[in-house]
Amino acid sequence: MIIFLQNIVRFILLILIQVFVLNNIRFSGFINPYIYILFILLLPVRFPRWISLILGFALGLIIDSFTNTPGVHAFATVLIAYLRNPVINAFISVEEGANPVPGLHSFGVSAFVKYLISLVVIHHTAFYFLEVFSFHDAGITLMRIVLNSFVTITILLGIQSFKKGKL
Amino acid sequence: MRKLIAFLIKFSVVILFILLELLSFGLIVNNNGYQKSVFFSSSNTVLASLYEISNSVVEFFYLRQANNGLAYENTRLNNEIIELKNQLNSLKPLMGDSTNPVYVQPENEISYIYAKVIHNSTNKMLNYITLNKGSRDGIRVDMGVVNEEGVVGIVSKVTEKFSVVIPVLNPKLQINSKFKKNNYSGPIVWEGKDYRFAKLNDIARHVKFSLGDSLITSGYTYSFPEGILIGTVDDFIIQESDAYYNIRVKLAVNFRTLSHVRVINYLNYEEQRKLEQSVSSQ
Repeated sequence: MIIFLQNIVRFILLILIQVFVLNNIRFSGFINPYIYILFILLLPVRFPRWISLILGFALGLIIDSFTNTPGVHAFATVLIAYLRNPVINAFISVEEGANPVPGLHSFGVSAFVKYLISLVVIHHTAFYFLEVFSFHDAGITLMRIVLNSFVTITILLGIQSFKKGKL
Repeated sequence: MRKLIAFLIKFSVVILFILLELLSFGLIVNNNGYQKSVFFSSSNTVLASLYEISNSVVEFFYLRQANNGLAYENTRLNNEIIELKNQLNSLKPLMGDSTNPVYVQPENEISYIYAKVIHNSTNKMLNYITLNKGSRDGIRVDMGVVNEEGVVGIVSKVTEKFSVVIPVLNPKLQINSKFKKNNYSGPIVWEGKDYRFAKLNDIARHVKFSLGDSLITSGYTYSFPEGILIGTVDDFIIQESDAYYNIRVKLAVNFRTLSHVRVINYLNYEEQRKLEQSVSSQ
């Protein structure tokens, strides 16, 4: 029950922070980190996959509505909601019957950082290429992907290390 | 049948995944046309109201810049009034006491609708601006948007109380511009790199111009009257083999500090559009 409430609060909080704070960063014209995907990253490991897909779609579509990019965030978020389980299985073996929430403590630092980096990079790559919708000037798009992945990962690790494995 | 159901259950997650991705992709592709859904956009009333609240907080920090802009424009308008009054006074003796109706120049048939920017971005590839005025204030799709510095963009979506503008900082918008001094025209497009600069295309190599030349709207569209400043030539290169110049334009408007804009209402829009359509449909 507590996990349920936690996730609802996290869902709303992340959208508000994303839309009203991070989407307004005016540094260098390239930086726009997308931290709202933390919601998908922090769902419990054994959370039903079909629900996480639908939640990812809803979350993406809400962010899309605020930025006038229908479908772009939704696509990228559904993609990581689907790839989450394969990526977890690649880096860590979860015991039978256990249902941990991903975190620095439950996964261990190295596995969690790898998990975070892979999904953020996948999300940002899908997002920035779909936003431009062409491979013309791919250099600039790649630069956006690298810069923003770096910033997003830094912020997310910062948030996670503050929480000390609680949330 | 049983096998089919078993198959569907086994792959339900994959199927759902593919369905959702196709749905998202459909939304992306559809958005590239003009028939965009108003629902999933920031002109949706709920979202726009949220933006309005957040803007009422942030607006405070930009008051100084907005004030400077308004004061500047105020002075310019005052000067214009004085100049026109002088002209009028000097012409009065010639008119005698005739009561001829005043002839309105076709170029003057526009009015402005004042609006406030409640959401704006400069750091994305596709930037959009949301305004706090909509169809009930007389705003229509395709109207031009300017501020005291120059051209801002064109209205692309309108709901009752809000509207979304495609600014110059969006490659979906091409604004037809021309050199103020010699009338050679070409489209200005933003390339997604820097919010201060855009690119001017289609200027052939025989055209003579120099750094700092002004680029103004051409007046060939319904959106803008002729002569509104878009930007100035900042830099240009041309290779031996090129037929066209590669021109970098410094945009007149500072999109980072945008707070108040005017929407151009071209009063003869309907008549001109109907006339042109009747010719092209023949």
